[in-house]
Amino acid sequence: MAEIAVFTENLSKTYGWLLWKKKTPSLTDLNLSIPKGVVFGFLGPNGAGKTTTIRLLMDLIKPSAGTALILGKPTSDHDVKERVGFLPDCPAFQPYLTANEFLNICAKLLRVPSGERKKRIADVLETVNMTEHARSKLGGFSRGMTQRIGIAQAILNNPDLLILDEPLIGLDPLGRQELKNIILSQKRRGTNVFFSSHILSDVEKMADYVGILNRGKLLCYGTLDELLGDTGHKAKIRPGMDDMAKDLLSDATSSTKLADGGWELVFNSGAAIDQKLKSLKSAHPEAIDISSSKENLEDFFFRKIGITKQNDV
Amino acid sequence: MINETMAIASGTWRRMLRVRAVYFLIVCVFILIGSAYNYNILSMGEHKPLMIDVSLVLNTVAAILIAISVSFEIPRELREGVASTLLTKPLGRTEYLVGKLVGTSIAGFIICGLIALGFFVIFSFSFNEQVLTSMIQGHLLVLFSVIPMTALAVLFSVFIPEMLAALVTAAVIWFTHNSPVLLSSSATKFLYGGIVPDLNLFNLKAQAVYTSSISWAYLGTAFAWGIVYSVFALAIASLIFSYKDLK
Repeated sequence: MAEIAVFTENLSKTYGWLLWKKKTPSLTDLNLSIPKGVVFGFLGPNGAGKTTTIRLLMDLIKPSAGTALILGKPTSDHDVKERVGFLPDCPAFQPYLTANEFLNICAKLLRVPSGERKKRIADVLETVNMTEHARSKLGGFSRGMTQRIGIAQAILNNPDLLILDEPLIGLDPLGRQELKNIILSQKRRGTNVFFSSHILSDVEKMADYVGILNRGKLLCYGTLDELLGDTGHKAKIRPGMDDMAKDLLSDATSSTKLADGGWELVFNSGAAIDQKLKSLKSAHPEAIDISSSKENLEDFFFRKIGITKQNDV
Repeated sequence: MINETMAIASGTWRRMLRVRAVYFLIVCVFILIGSAYNYNILSMGEHKPLMIDVSLVLNTVAAILIAISVSFEIPRELREGVASTLLTKPLGRTEYLVGKLVGTSIAGFIICGLIALGFFVIFSFSFNEQVLTSMIQGHLLVLFSVIPMTALAVLFSVFIPEMLAALVTAAVIWFTHNSPVLLSSSATKFLYGGIVPDLNLFNLKAQAVYTSSISWAYLGTAFAWGIVYSVFALAIASLIFSYKDLK
């Protein structure tokens, strides 16, 4: 258990307590075991139960059944909360406080030593590019600025576990890139990161482990390598080998002319094409590179939740 | 625990003391207190007791409004998710409620204290007399009453939406300020068995106005009772809050 950052066993949540009202199961028998030192991306359509899971982990709501442990301790443990940073999906803070005052309150609650608070607050404000707004009232902040302050309060205590609920929402492209850099720098620090997102491409780039939730049930989780299957081959052809590329075009499912004049072709698996590529590689080892082509996360996601993706016309 | 509680308290009293309308209202209170001096003829020479009475009534109203404000604040923070951000830190739900009570009480002491001081200054200038101990004691009791009233507001705000919580708090405060009248009915006597506070304990306007001495022991007892009742109300609030799902 010491090597597990987040552990859940049959974790379930059903909302509603009135006897005569229909109960809505929001989460059913969630079993997760996320190792330490990884970035975990939690995916699912709207209403899948991602935020419910995160609220259960943060002890904001009580489970109907099952258990959850974070960093090996129960979610209600105050000592473990000292080591966790949390960003809610729509962060809201006291509007009458300045950014400095709010972060100072958070620092006190997180038991940051008084001698270090000022420096820590200045550092996190600089990290999220909000130093110039330190003395401005939170009520006057835009959505993106509020999100940045939310990130600042989440990393204030140099957490061992960072839990982020839809962290990229509300950020402009620059802000999104900054947040991705923050997540990756936290990972390099050894922080475990658990985040939920709708933006599949970002999850694919940042996450080591991915879990997909739909209608309260975990459909799958594991590393991207484990989850994304091989769909065929990818061939990279050197510039100046247009004849070879033209020969292969009819078998390719997609082709891209690269900026340097070379070609990138994708093929489905098949005995004939496999043999053809093998022969070309033997004959012209320098001219062509062949690798396995993996399914992308978006296709995998839609396949798992049972929705047919409509290709753009 | 104390650090966390005071962190919440500091955010709370900062909010209250930054509302500009508070200072506008304090100025209005001073004007109303001072204008009592001009009712010499209308009050048939009783303008001095009138001024004392007006100051105590307005200070009580201010105390009630301060206490009720927390019944807007807690539900709003719960609804908007502000409380959730704080409660994911090493902060117990009880500490959050205690912090709200302490912060509101501090703000109440400051605001009601300002009103009392303003009255003392106005009274001294108007009548060229020293402020009597009974007047100070009357205002002190108003300050003390902030604590149990705020505890009531905190209790209702953890399970009732903001507008309704404010109305219920106001109704209970009115009800419990009128215990001498209402306790004539045996049906209401049961409620004063400790379920609702008897806020009339903090109302010594008659003694203050007519300068009858009030024993300091009584003030101490009223204060201690207010603390005990607040602990009782907070314990119930804490129990309810511990089971509440937060946004």
